[in-house]
Amino acid sequence: MSVDKLAYYPGCPSEATAIEQHMSTEAVFEKLGVELVEVEDWNCCGAAEVEDPRVVYALNARNLAIAEKEDLDIVTPCSICYYNLERSNRALKADEALRTKLKGIDSSLDYNGTIKTKHVLDVFVNDIGLDEISSKLEKKVNVKVAPYYGCYIGRPPETAFDDPDNPVLMDKLIELIGGEIVPNFNYMKTVCCGGPLMMTRGDIAFDMARKILDVAKNAGADCISLACPLCGMMLDGKQADIEKALDVTIGMPVVYITQLLGLALGIEPNKLGLNKNAVDTKEILGKVV
Amino acid sequence: MPIKTWELDPNFKNEIMSEAGGERLASCFQCSTCTLGCPITEFVPGYNPRKIIQMSLLGMREEVLSNPDLWVCLICQTCTARCPQDVRIADVLGALRRIAEREEEAGNLKIDSPRPLFDKAFQHQLKKFGRLYDMGLAMEYYPKKEGSFIKGMLAMMKDYKDFGMRMFLKGKMGPLGGGSPVKGMLASKIKQKDVMKKIFEELGEEGKEK
Amino acid sequence: MGIAIIGGGVAGITAALDLADSGYKVHLIEKNAELGGKMGELAECQMGLSPYIAKVENHPNIDLMLSSELERLSGTAGDFKLSVSGNEIGVESVVLAPGYDIPEVAKSYGFGSPDVVVSLDFEGILKAATVSETGELVRPSDGKRVKRLGFIKCVGSRCQENEICSTACCAYTAKEAWEVKERYPDVEIYIFYMDIRVFGKDEELVAELKDKYGVKYIRSRVPEVIPEGGALTVKFENLEKGTIEKLELDMVVLAVGLLPSKTMGKLAEITGVKTDTYGYIETSLTSPLETSVPGILACGTATAPMKVRESVAQASGAALKAAGLSQRTEPIPGQEEHKFIEVGDELKTGVFICGCEGEVANTVDIPAVAERINELKDVAYVNSETSTLKEAMDAIESGIVDQRLNRIVFAGQSPRECEDMVRDACAGAGLNPYLLEMVNLREQCAWVQDPKDATEAAVDMLKMAAERAKYLEEIPVERYPVIPKALVIGGGISGMNAALGIADAGYEVHLVEKGAELGGGLKKTTELQGPGGEQAADVLKELVDKVTANERINVHTKVKEEEIVGRAGSFKAKIVAEGSAEDAEIEFGACVIATGARRDFVPEGYFGYGKEKNVTTVSEFGKMLAGKLDANTIALIQDVPGEGVTARYSSIEVVDSALKAKEKNPDANVFVLYQDIKTYGKWEVLYKDAREKGVIFLRYDKEKPPKYEDGIVSVYDVIFNDEIQIKPDLVVLSTPTMPAEENERLSKMFMIPLKKGFFMEKPERPKMVLTPVDTVNEGVFICGSAVYPAMIDECLAMSSAAASRACVLLAKDFLETPAMTSVVDEEICAGCGVCEAICPVEAIELTEEPVPVVTFGVTTVVGGTKKVAKTGDGCIGCGSCASYCPSGAMSLRNFRDRQVYAQLDFAV
Repeated sequence: MSVDKLAYYPGCPSEATAIEQHMSTEAVFEKLGVELVEVEDWNCCGAAEVEDPRVVYALNARNLAIAEKEDLDIVTPCSICYYNLERSNRALKADEALRTKLKGIDSSLDYNGTIKTKHVLDVFVNDIGLDEISSKLEKKVNVKVAPYYGCYIGRPPETAFDDPDNPVLMDKLIELIGGEIVPNFNYMKTVCCGGPLMMTRGDIAFDMARKILDVAKNAGADCISLACPLCGMMLDGKQADIEKALDVTIGMPVVYITQLLGLALGIEPNKLGLNKNAVDTKEILGKVV
Repeated sequence: MPIKTWELDPNFKNEIMSEAGGERLASCFQCSTCTLGCPITEFVPGYNPRKIIQMSLLGMREEVLSNPDLWVCLICQTCTARCPQDVRIADVLGALRRIAEREEEAGNLKIDSPRPLFDKAFQHQLKKFGRLYDMGLAMEYYPKKEGSFIKGMLAMMKDYKDFGMRMFLKGKMGPLGGGSPVKGMLASKIKQKDVMKKIFEELGEEGKEK
Repeated sequence: MGIAIIGGGVAGITAALDLADSGYKVHLIEKNAELGGKMGELAECQMGLSPYIAKVENHPNIDLMLSSELERLSGTAGDFKLSVSGNEIGVESVVLAPGYDIPEVAKSYGFGSPDVVVSLDFEGILKAATVSETGELVRPSDGKRVKRLGFIKCVGSRCQENEICSTACCAYTAKEAWEVKERYPDVEIYIFYMDIRVFGKDEELVAELKDKYGVKYIRSRVPEVIPEGGALTVKFENLEKGTIEKLELDMVVLAVGLLPSKTMGKLAEITGVKTDTYGYIETSLTSPLETSVPGILACGTATAPMKVRESVAQASGAALKAAGLSQRTEPIPGQEEHKFIEVGDELKTGVFICGCEGEVANTVDIPAVAERINELKDVAYVNSETSTLKEAMDAIESGIVDQRLNRIVFAGQSPRECEDMVRDACAGAGLNPYLLEMVNLREQCAWVQDPKDATEAAVDMLKMAAERAKYLEEIPVERYPVIPKALVIGGGISGMNAALGIADAGYEVHLVEKGAELGGGLKKTTELQGPGGEQAADVLKELVDKVTANERINVHTKVKEEEIVGRAGSFKAKIVAEGSAEDAEIEFGACVIATGARRDFVPEGYFGYGKEKNVTTVSEFGKMLAGKLDANTIALIQDVPGEGVTARYSSIEVVDSALKAKEKNPDANVFVLYQDIKTYGKWEVLYKDAREKGVIFLRYDKEKPPKYEDGIVSVYDVIFNDEIQIKPDLVVLSTPTMPAEENERLSKMFMIPLKKGFFMEKPERPKMVLTPVDTVNEGVFICGSAVYPAMIDECLAMSSAAASRACVLLAKDFLETPAMTSVVDEEICAGCGVCEAICPVEAIELTEEPVPVVTFGVTTVVGGTKKVAKTGDGCIGCGSCASYCPSGAMSLRNFRDRQVYAQLDFAV
């Protein structure tokens, strides 16, 4: 294993709507023997709502600078946070004038460009490695999964760490822990969940999320697995609202990949926040052997 | 009505290209890749980023900036990832949205979408606290969107009634949210809030106006 | 010493044969275990290429190095040392022809569905459909019949990873669609495209696909194919309605682009040749075959993506350049004079059955066949031991020499591949080569028969052949000397380059030009296309100076016409020149037609041209760009209708001038109105540059052409779906290009067909792709814009190729007169003239002949004269006259009635 300590950037939803992702991430890393050091006093990455790239770079320069002081690479479980961290990191590394300018705004933005930014999926598969994880597995998670990756894992190309159209990192983890990937879901893996329009065009957002849920259901999935809290809010948090608004019944459990992995590592379900997912996850727990 | 090129603004493409993210606009060869891969087109008939780009290149400034379709982009990056000419369509649309917002602030344009209000409320919260504060954001956004505090609160209640209770019951929002009695109900503030203020003032739209 | 050729695909094979046939030693180095390259993988092309492969494999001057790779190269032009998979060879020059590879395809095309295939694999599916039991086109996933087929173009080309246009895909997609439609008319075909970049015959094919076959061409660069509910869903833009529509297809073919060969990086490192931004070997517009290292030439898809036809032309051209740096050391095959043995009355037939490396032996029980044939009373000897063509030829030779066999039956692969070689083997052993009968046991038996019937079928085929062999007759082999001189018609860049090529190879050349001076069409061009464009005048001056200074080139100017008679190797011409008192009489062995093209059609009346001062043509605009440019709004209109064809450079020229106008006056509003932007190959980058510099491109439909009225250009932009109006200061028209006037006359004189006034290939003659500069008239070659109006680099490559082909011919001392010709029995001939009328090459003439004196007892009748058919030079042995002759006086040598009947007796 090539990694034993990382700076941890939980992201804003970790305190609210995606608390189970936060809990499971911490639990899994602990079990895998990787120490996570939370970025002290971290600030929001800018999400999708701050559109001006220069502001995004500045916001993230502060988080990067804090981790850099500890000399630790940053890992985050949120795809949007990852996208903002990584593109800022790339821009800052490449542009000295930008670094100087930010330093001039506030000394806390003084980042030298010496650390890396990572998404948890990338760390699991490419840094820790499947063999290492395999050696620590305690249980078999015998579920049929529709692995839903969302936007920022394979896109845009410069920050991507998996295939843009048919990413596989999550598939590998699911297969490793004894799960099964449902057929006929591949083409939905990276189609946007509609999350960014939730507050301004909820109608469209509901239609988009529903399509993903439908395809997963028709493919015979026991659950959908995720790697992003915004997808979690749409597919899990809002699922009942979608059912009501569109007059359909779905009932599709939606879990974070860290939760599934945690189960296989033998972590207690409540410690993984499996009681906090909006759609009941009991059926999944029944398939852990 | 025929489009009379001499009445258009040939400089508009340069204006976009000097905005961060808009630099690659002119490389477009109108191939439709962006439009055909865009997930929004299934739900918004007529939505066509390819056409928005050609309108921009021709200099149809007013039509482009007042086009409500600018505001349904998901920024999902599918278009950017697949664009054969590296136009970075998602970023180009972002640049157009920022120009439109400036024009609206200058009183030259009325944007037919609540999204700038939401984005602004979000940034305002961020500037104030350094982190996303769901309740605060909703309290700021809904009244602006609905035009009055009362209407805003009613709309918010409607949207959040079920969802909020669900989140509350799961301990994700409300007094017991976030594993502590205060998280989720109150704003999670960072210590160095002054840095946030400086960033927005120096680099944000406010900075630009100075 | 000799020449090393790296790459055994179609380009390498072509270069190797041109060189080896002219007496150069060739080392052909191929990394795979077989020759053929990518073209060898294509179902249809494989058949076309196989005779060439067989020839290479058995050529005495070619050292074939299969499964070999170049490891090291040292030395300089004239003295290179190469290390090839451990072997050391020394050569004077090197030709690089490593070919191409195809890009990886995005997963969004089908997400792993087996029903989405790349074009190369589709060729295989088409081939499998031919030989399968049902013959149906079925999809790979479930064997369901394909009813709706889609083609997606530009997959992996004109994109970030592969910036340039792969050039070949538009044409090969059309060809595949045509093949499907011909065989499965019910299949609906949809082709998704961005620009249709085809020229000449391919342009006609596309028009035919749309109009006759109902193939739908849809303008959309389709980024994804979704497998949903047992079908493949493709989305496209309905530009007319402004909507996005879905189409369900059974199968999708991805027309993938071309990339430089994966070996290119290593090859460039070893040889030191420079590669360009895209990874291709760097060449230039004015030296398309030369690499950055003197003595190392490059050709085919190693220099840029291109079609087979262009690759072959480049390969021949590169062969010529390589020959220029090397010494001829080897004898030319087939040049030896043979003394044939007396055949006499005794019949000794030898039958040779070749196993074709298992391709026959695995299906046909050869020993059993041999035993049965041995029982025939007229068969003296049977050999069934050989496995390769080379072994078979050796066996035939010793059979003739040792056993004194005097009729040979050879059974093996297709005669198309090996007939000439087996005839040469017979002749070499002293047997008249026309005492040979061929049996195609591989293609016509082993490949098509059910294994249980194959052996019986083979026996029947061989029995028929043995019977026919009995009646074969010796045909005298006559030889005539080759005149080692060439005539080149046309003094433009193609003609001058061809003349220089032939002269540099050591032959005298007569270069005839109708104008007062050399230069041709390029004289009207100001600056060559592309960044840092060279001045056309400088390029021309260099060529003219070289031609003028060359002692072997005789230039004839102001030539009104040439009267030419003769055949390959031995032509005569009378050259009539204006102002010259005496007509020049010259003799030569080969002729190159390089008449070029007349420049643009003058668009009198179009868009007010001729009346409005501000309406001009692209070539006139080129001159304006050299000076000060006042115009602030410029509208360039591409594809203005008129007489002629769309030149391959037409779109490039438009985009280039638009770009140059924008560079000259950055504030100008420059609009290009077009139907298809055809910036093929690396010119795609010019198109990108023009867009990035701010040129605005508006696409119109042929049915709704732009108008210029009252100072306003109105165009219905089909992509934008609205009418756009421009108030231009200047309107620039790009018009079709017309053929040279003399083509008509030359076509009649040489019997080479024209199409739209050019010597372009005809759709019904696909074999032409492998012989792009040869014509139906042996010894006469075509090149440059006379074939089809082309860019300067293509003209140069083609004219070098024509020179190369001419030199292959001129290198021979002797040629044989055609043997399988028609003969007439004058006694029977009634002089009806049917044969004269039907002869396609005008080789039959009716003449008055005296009727012989006949004596009946005491009365002597002097018959006077009667009309009799005479066969003359030029007979191509087609047999039309023999089959139409009502009296049976006409017959084709070795296809006489009794020979054919003998064969048929055994067939029934």
